[in-house]
Amino acid sequence: MALYNFKKIMVVPTSKEFIDITLSKTQRKTPTVIHKHYQIHRIRHFYMRKVKFTQQNYHDRLSQILTDFPKLDDIHPFYADLMNVLYDKDHYKLALGQINIAKNLIDNVSKDYVRLMKYGDSLYRCKQLKRAALGRMCTIMKRQKQSLEYLEQVRQHLSRLPTIDPNTRTLLLCGYPNVGKSSFINKVTRADVEVQPYAFTTKSLFVGHMDYKYLRWQVVDTPGILDHPLEERNTIEMQAITALAHLRSAVLYVMDLSEQCGHTLKQQLELFNNIRPLFANKPLLVVANKCDIKKISELTEEDKACDKLLAARVDSKMKGKKVHDVLNRLHLAMPAKRDDKPRPPFIPEGAKVGRKTMEVDAPKRKTERDLEMEMGDDYVLDLQKYWDLMNQDEKHDVIPEIWEGHNIADYIDPEIMKNLEDLEKEEELKVKAGEYESEEESEDEEMQEIRQLAKQIREKRKMKIVCSKEKDVHGPRMPRTVKKVERKTLEKEMGGLGLDMTGKDAVSRFSFSSHYAVNARRSRSVTVLKKRKREASVAPTSRTRSQSASRPPRDQSGVRDPKMAKKAKKLMKSQQKDMNRQGKKGEADRHVFDLKPKHLFSGKRKSGTNDHR
Amino acid sequence: MRIEKCYFCSGPVYPGHGTMFVRNDCKTFRFCKSKCLKNFKKKRNPRKTRWTKAFRKASGKELTVDNSLEFEKRRNIAVKYKRELWSKTVEAMMKVEGIKRKRQAQFILNRLKKGKQLQKAEDISEVKKNIHLIKAPHADKAKVMEEKMVQKLQEDVEMGDN
Repeated sequence: MALYNFKKIMVVPTSKEFIDITLSKTQRKTPTVIHKHYQIHRIRHFYMRKVKFTQQNYHDRLSQILTDFPKLDDIHPFYADLMNVLYDKDHYKLALGQINIAKNLIDNVSKDYVRLMKYGDSLYRCKQLKRAALGRMCTIMKRQKQSLEYLEQVRQHLSRLPTIDPNTRTLLLCGYPNVGKSSFINKVTRADVEVQPYAFTTKSLFVGHMDYKYLRWQVVDTPGILDHPLEERNTIEMQAITALAHLRSAVLYVMDLSEQCGHTLKQQLELFNNIRPLFANKPLLVVANKCDIKKISELTEEDKACDKLLAARVDSKMKGKKVHDVLNRLHLAMPAKRDDKPRPPFIPEGAKVGRKTMEVDAPKRKTERDLEMEMGDDYVLDLQKYWDLMNQDEKHDVIPEIWEGHNIADYIDPEIMKNLEDLEKEEELKVKAGEYESEEESEDEEMQEIRQLAKQIREKRKMKIVCSKEKDVHGPRMPRTVKKVERKTLEKEMGGLGLDMTGKDAVSRFSFSSHYAVNARRSRSVTVLKKRKREASVAPTSRTRSQSASRPPRDQSGVRDPKMAKKAKKLMKSQQKDMNRQGKKGEADRHVFDLKPKHLFSGKRKSGTNDHR
Repeated sequence: MRIEKCYFCSGPVYPGHGTMFVRNDCKTFRFCKSKCLKNFKKKRNPRKTRWTKAFRKASGKELTVDNSLEFEKRRNIAVKYKRELWSKTVEAMMKVEGIKRKRQAQFILNRLKKGKQLQKAEDISEVKKNIHLIKAPHADKAKVMEEKMVQKLQEDVEMGDN
């Protein structure tokens, strides 16, 4: 129904506002950053998007306006006529038509410029095209200023129209101005219409609601009608006429007996006759108002005749036709009697007893409170006395609940004894079968010995690993032969392995370097022999650690005399000084220390120290 | 008064201990300590967390199916108190407990037997391969050699005598 949409029409902005809103929206909702070095398709897309966005916005809003405003052909003729009276049908249609045209123009503009944008070859060109497009759209909107203003006013007025439902029961009050229509509606309904001594106080239709026979009735108050032909009527009167013409209601023609409205009875009668065609098909009632001022009996004869005439023509049906329609559709169904058996309603005994007890004061049961009062200090609340058990004397037992981390309630089972018996039998069988016998580790001595040895082996291996890890790998790798092996350690080690180290022979035979010593001696003996030919020298007598003798330590090799040695040492130290100053480990150490790490020297220190902040 | 089971570790929750979490679908979860609760909140699966009973049972490390375990079960049937039933139940409970413990222990022992065999085999192989770490291969050789030499000398002497 078009009835409620009048209030839900969107606000129609002024043209300036409209333009501002749309342009700012385009600015905000589309990307804004573009550079001329972007790829051309990207630039084009960027500007096309803006043009399309603006067009879309305009289109949407204008379409919404067009759909919100009611089409005069689609709504109830009463409203159509009313709107015509108030706003002029032609003007209204024109305004909406203009809006429609504007919408189409904007669409066309956008289409054209988007097409043109495809041939834009630089950022500047595309930008100009976009400017042109938006500019044209805004100009179109500027031209709609008048239409938009008009539509806004129409909308505001429309939303304030009273909600008259043309289809429900209505009473229509009409008559000359100032006869008392508004006073009547004020009395009968909760409406609060202005009542003033001057004519045309009521300038438009007003609605009030009242209840009669459990139904809601609309009472419509109209502005007064003067007696002149239809063409000369002004807007206000036309509203009343429209209401009369279209609303299917009961008409109350109100007449002022006292002629306080400024018009004689005769004039009022004439008016009545003039607008009689409008009353066709509607129940009519003539209301003689203001009879406190001038009673009917005080009317002159002339007047009485008029009254009689009126009375003869009065139809006092107040009911609308609608109610009859409804009655026709209702039908009350009663079940027909099957046989003569009486079937009274069934009331259970308990209900009857209950009702009886409610009526008579029954003797009360003794409550705990009563007991407490009786026993005074001796009273102990013992709820267990109400328990309903198999043996009544077990009521006051202390019931065990927990045993060693188990809930006794989980074991309660009427068949527990049977199950226990089964379990015990099973257990016996198992014990007999020997499941619980631990396999004696009948380990012979051999196995035990093997175990011992394995343990020792493992330990030894672990020790070796640990020793190997403790080696210093950061120094220079010296060959094994440089280290002096003491006799004691050798004896201990080899002795641990089970070898006999007592003899001198043994040591030499098994020591590693001794083996070397033999070979070295062999090789050296050759050169020595050669040398012997030139010089006489003493043959080596003892087979001591000849290894160290064959290789002089580094700081003595290639140095002639102590003077040179001193000089060499000095040189070494001076070079070392440099590296020491820089904290270098050696020549190849190129590590760069970070003495002022940024995280310790910059930023606010929140809750730490300078060590870690 | 009931001793509940912790949802996560299946340990006992004594009255006055632990926490309970109620989910929107009205399922309640009890926890014996905050460790379990924190693990639960981290959405850890108790069946995969090694220290829980649920893991042990699910991975076959503990006795799962046994008649002695069927005694402790929550039966949702109310039974009226009867003195003799209760006292018999308590006795039965103690016996069942004894049997249950025995069986559980046996189960674990059986499980560990295989390990012992493997250990034995490993020891033997270790000794065979790495004996040289604690005993030099020809440790007793010298003695043996000596004895042999002594024997030979004796024989020579005898031979010489003869």
